[in-house]
Amino acid sequence: MTSTRSDLKKIIMDTKTLPTLPMVIQKLNSLSENDKSSVQEMAKIVASDQVISARILRLANSPSYGFYRVSTISNAMILLGVNVVKSLALSSSIFAIMEKDIVGLWEHSLGVGAAANLIARKLELPECEEIATAGLLHDIGKVIISIKCRDAEKEIIKLVRERQIYTMEAELEIIDTDHAEVGGWLAKCWFLPDKLGEPIAFHHDVAASKNHRIKTAVVHIADVLICASGLSNSGESFVPPIQEIAWDTLKLNERLLEELVDEIEDKLVEVKNFSLQMMAD
Amino acid sequence: MQKIPLMLAKAGMILGRDVFRGDSPIGMPLCGKDTELTDSLIARFEHMDVKTIHVEGHPVWEEGEHSIDDLLRQLDVRFSKTLQEPLNAALYNIYKAYLTRSMGGDSDQHTK
Repeated sequence: MTSTRSDLKKIIMDTKTLPTLPMVIQKLNSLSENDKSSVQEMAKIVASDQVISARILRLANSPSYGFYRVSTISNAMILLGVNVVKSLALSSSIFAIMEKDIVGLWEHSLGVGAAANLIARKLELPECEEIATAGLLHDIGKVIISIKCRDAEKEIIKLVRERQIYTMEAELEIIDTDHAEVGGWLAKCWFLPDKLGEPIAFHHDVAASKNHRIKTAVVHIADVLICASGLSNSGESFVPPIQEIAWDTLKLNERLLEELVDEIEDKLVEVKNFSLQMMAD
Repeated sequence: MQKIPLMLAKAGMILGRDVFRGDSPIGMPLCGKDTELTDSLIARFEHMDVKTIHVEGHPVWEEGEHSIDDLLRQLDVRFSKTLQEPLNAALYNIYKAYLTRSMGGDSDQHTK
């Protein structure tokens, strides 16, 4: 190890080369926190980004919402809700940052996002869309490590393969931190709300999540289930242990778990097709 | 459930999911899940530009596809570090039963 953890934090978080969130998201975030802002104002901001607009209209016109021919962003926002639109806008930006060559991580992240959404809906938790976004972003630290410390990343992957250990153990050994902590740093840099930042930073240590433990627990369980399904990322092949605190927080039981596995596997067919399409594009 | 190209669809297979025109999930479904395929239905899908469908069980085997034994072996490797944990052991049994079921075999889940 050549640098101390704090040096590494500086390198990783060097703002000049850190991927930035588009202005659309930042404006949307600040507007949605203001009680006085209107849907029309937000729709105007969203409409300035054609990729995000297209995604939102596509979702609003999908059969799951049952309304057809929604053609304006403001109608779509009323129909879908501001939170859904925000999550969608954030996820499309993340996809732009994630490189196509890390397909394994792509698939894994998409899978965890979908699984977190299913778990949240099944347990009738509030803010399902936010939980799904947290799931999608939970390994964003790995993307940053890959962008900022290419050589260290290669060593980490090598160590994982050679010693058959978890990625986190290898990360700690090589860079003295892990992807969850790096993701937490990034969430802070991007001023993401804590309800996204905590699940990202603590998805491997649910007990450390103080304010959003339920959301963190959902992302942890979603991560375990997706690893169990075989959609694990970048060479890691072992299922992490299910943390009892997450199991207890969500009041899970074996029957629920069995139903979740069925529903998640069904959903994963779509995820796999989606990533295959992305690779073909 | 298995996703197959429409070319490989045969009368008697059961739809595992709704079928949409041109594989697009937008719009009204052409045919609902649980429907048994007939030759005329397959011809109609072809006409409607449907490329793939989901069918129950695992009726079509493709080259390079993993057998149930391979899938269970991979599952064993994935759980090899955590099988002694009771919660992970429960998840392992659920996945084992799921894989067996999805490949058309009998689930031994309730006999674990």
